[in-house]
Amino acid sequence: MTSSNVEQKHTANPQAPTFQQIIMNLQNYWSKQGCVILQPYDGAVGAGTNHPATALRSLGPNTWRTAYVQGCRRPTDGRYGENPNRLQYYYQFQVLIKPSPDKIQDLYLESLRAIGIDPDKHDVRFVEDDWESPTLGAWGLGWEVWLDGMEVTQFTYFQQMGGFECKPVPVELAYGLERLSMYVQGVDSVYDIVWSRGDDGLEFTYGDVYLENEREFSKYNFETSDAEFLFKAFDKYEAEATSSIKAHEPLPAYDWTLKCIHTFNLLDARGVVSSTERMAYILRVRSMVKECCASYMKDVLHVTVDEDEKKGE
Amino acid sequence: MAQHTLAFEIGSEEIPAFDLHSAIGQLKSYVPKALDDARIKHGEIQIFGGPRRLIVLVHDLPDATDALKQEFRGPAVRIAFDKDGNPTKAAQGFARGKGLQASDLVRKEVKGTEYVFATINEPAHPIAELLPDILESLIRDIKWPRSCRWGTTSDYFVRPVRWIVALLDDQVIPVTFADVMSSNKTWGHRVLAPGAHMVPTANDLLDVVRAASVIPGEEEREQIIRDGVAQIEKQTGEKASLPAHTLREVVNLSEYPTVLMGTFDEIFLHVPHEIIVDAMLKHQRYFPMYDNKGNLTQHFIIVSNGDPKDNDTITAGNERVVRARLDDAKFFYEEDLKRPLESYVADLDKVVFQEKLGTVLDKTKRLEKLAPALAKQAHLSNQNAKDLARASKLCKADLVTSAVIEFTSVQGIMGSYYAKASGETNQVAQAIRQQYQPRFAGDDMPDSLVGRLLAFEDKLDSICALFAVDQEPTGSSDPFALRRSAIGIVNMLVDGLPVKLGDAIDTELESLNEQGIEFDDEKVRQHVIDFFVTRTKVMLKDEGYGIDTIDAVLAVHESEPAVIWARVKAVEQTREDMPEVIQDLATAYERAHNLRDEKLGDAVDSSLFGDAETNLNNAITQASSDVSAALANKDYTEALKDLAKLREPIDTFFADVMVMDEDIDLRENRLRLLNRFVNVFTDVADFSKLVRK
Repeated sequence: MTSSNVEQKHTANPQAPTFQQIIMNLQNYWSKQGCVILQPYDGAVGAGTNHPATALRSLGPNTWRTAYVQGCRRPTDGRYGENPNRLQYYYQFQVLIKPSPDKIQDLYLESLRAIGIDPDKHDVRFVEDDWESPTLGAWGLGWEVWLDGMEVTQFTYFQQMGGFECKPVPVELAYGLERLSMYVQGVDSVYDIVWSRGDDGLEFTYGDVYLENEREFSKYNFETSDAEFLFKAFDKYEAEATSSIKAHEPLPAYDWTLKCIHTFNLLDARGVVSSTERMAYILRVRSMVKECCASYMKDVLHVTVDEDEKKGE
Repeated sequence: MAQHTLAFEIGSEEIPAFDLHSAIGQLKSYVPKALDDARIKHGEIQIFGGPRRLIVLVHDLPDATDALKQEFRGPAVRIAFDKDGNPTKAAQGFARGKGLQASDLVRKEVKGTEYVFATINEPAHPIAELLPDILESLIRDIKWPRSCRWGTTSDYFVRPVRWIVALLDDQVIPVTFADVMSSNKTWGHRVLAPGAHMVPTANDLLDVVRAASVIPGEEEREQIIRDGVAQIEKQTGEKASLPAHTLREVVNLSEYPTVLMGTFDEIFLHVPHEIIVDAMLKHQRYFPMYDNKGNLTQHFIIVSNGDPKDNDTITAGNERVVRARLDDAKFFYEEDLKRPLESYVADLDKVVFQEKLGTVLDKTKRLEKLAPALAKQAHLSNQNAKDLARASKLCKADLVTSAVIEFTSVQGIMGSYYAKASGETNQVAQAIRQQYQPRFAGDDMPDSLVGRLLAFEDKLDSICALFAVDQEPTGSSDPFALRRSAIGIVNMLVDGLPVKLGDAIDTELESLNEQGIEFDDEKVRQHVIDFFVTRTKVMLKDEGYGIDTIDAVLAVHESEPAVIWARVKAVEQTREDMPEVIQDLATAYERAHNLRDEKLGDAVDSSLFGDAETNLNNAITQASSDVSAALANKDYTEALKDLAKLREPIDTFFADVMVMDEDIDLRENRLRLLNRFVNVFTDVADFSKLVRK
């Protein structure tokens, strides 16, 4: 068990959907709304937003709808598996729909029903939360959605990505799968979430699947990683991204950019990036993302881009 | 004439709580102005607003605006027409300006002169024709801190607009915004009355909205919340704390508020209460409760927007959330305690203070340098000096502790807990806790002298450092709240903090230099000093001191806020105690000041004196030494009294002596005497500013 200091321990409600059922139900629901159900990006990303299916596909005039699970790496959030609420690797369920539908709030509320939460029986609130990503050069307005006081989803109307206006406007929903599952199953520690339950009653918990991962990666991120190697790797990934841009291949360029971002996050967790360096790294990443987006618009979408497009409030 | 009602509702996805409050305020001034500008007479205007709607009701509207005949006088006929009787450029220009031809102008005589006149007839407009544009403009005119686009539209609003109700009685006024067309349908509470609800006439809108479980006004929702809180207070015998900011937010976070009470586990009461309160107020928008001794209890207040039938589920859910939050807080607190506070200091190099100024570790080093200088100035005891040095080193360390990273508003407070747990003295812990005080005018100052000196260091460092990199406040932009910092410093100095601002600024700028920040020393020093003088001036004005008194004192070029303050107080007091003396003296001073000729110096020849001059000269000699002595004792009231003694002799002098005598020797000697007279005032105040005109 974890270090949760509260004596009460709640075992999972056997009627509630398992972690994997919640994922499957969400996939099912959004697939009926016309979303392409993608698989997680196969490289390390810090958020579902970074998946090219969101970051790049937010741009340009084309209709796009997708939904997918994304494992997210946040090296600084590691707690060695000792905190019941915080992980350095966790799952988001990401939905991106462009243009944003008029009834998107209702569609979202219906999706909660699909995973065993009746929004009519709870206090569901849309609480202001403006989103901004300095590394992606992106921002949007929206809310965090509260379910009886718990933040379960980020809901954002994207306005800019990579410094470019999003036209039409995509809406992004990012469900915190662990939080939702804890809520639905009534457990107090992320590690007690029931991941799967076979017909014969065999259960695996989140802890069975991921506790060791949290322990090892927390230690690696904070203590073991080789900073010198990571600094070099960043430079090499960056060079590779740059040459891909020159070759008008924004997708590989963006792939290497994501590796830069993760490498930077690892360095940050290691505590070896000074504040001035930090700012400089963020700027390097942002300009790479911007170039990827510009190349994607020009070379893939064939949209003319105004180099200094910086409208918006 | 028939009287009509207008109902206008902008239906939006959830509007941020504070933006909503501001929009309601804006509509209160925009609506009457828009109607007046269109010359639409109207009765009462009511504005309501909730998370998903802004409502405007206008009563007693006429069918149409009144027709209006306006007459404008143009140039005189002799200018308007040339000798052949053709209109001149002047007449044509005047006519064009009124949208008419010169031939439309008519002649009329006014007081014996004939002028041309333009007459404009504005016909009556049915208001149903005027309203679409007016209402659409209202939607566009509301200013939001940030607004967005959505879907495929290019209009901006705070969040997507989903419906518009625009009714003049039972007639739908066509209004279109971002692809939404107005109708007679409003939308009810999401859970309690979902879907569209028909509004038969404008007068019914509020009733329909209420029937759809939406409380339309801020005041009314606030009252419901306050009543609910009062009831829980009665049941428990405890008191809830409802800070205005959080309350405002909560009022605008629900359409149909229900007040509930939750309970958290007793074990969390061992965590510093400030962090629990922060978690509840800032993160969850719950209100904490206190027992009759003022101690935090396990109870907290939730305001729900859900169905009251499900209160138990909702309460239980919120209790689970609070448990997770507090468990986190407790975890962070206990983790933080595993290391002594001092060990966090080195990590401050990861916290940027300001881009050009480096990190909070750099700031800490500057504070550590300022500490001994201030300790010396303030004649601190050895122990106090040690405590100040220690507090300066440790004060920012909690910024990198987990608890503060997670719950930022408890900075300083957590530092103080950790300081105590690390074996620091109580005074050090208390100084760390109170370092951000006073936070605003009227806020408590830190309790101890050491605490005040630490607060002084922190604020002064921010001001000097940011001024050095050209980040001084401009207009309404003061992102580092430097004005508030300066006010805090001035308040502490006026309250007797025994340090000299000027010297502290010098030490501070030296530290910045040593850290390799490049700037123009003299310029920055002067800017910082001017900044403090201006703050002091504004504060004195706010305290009700006369601006002429303040200007008189400031003319002497004193820059220590405490000195300026004491002088202004003394001058104002003296003016009240002996108004005629000061008024008279000021008049004489102004006269002398205007007459004098500085080039002549003040070496008088007493052999040329008559009685009045000798008398004045002796009085000046006496006053001069008395004023110096009084100033040396910092007794400004006494200095003013000494000056006041010059009133008789100067009045007699001006009455008996003709300064501008034809004899150049006499004249210049008298001017030198006036120079002497003026010079006595130099170090006290510019009395010419005190003349009441």
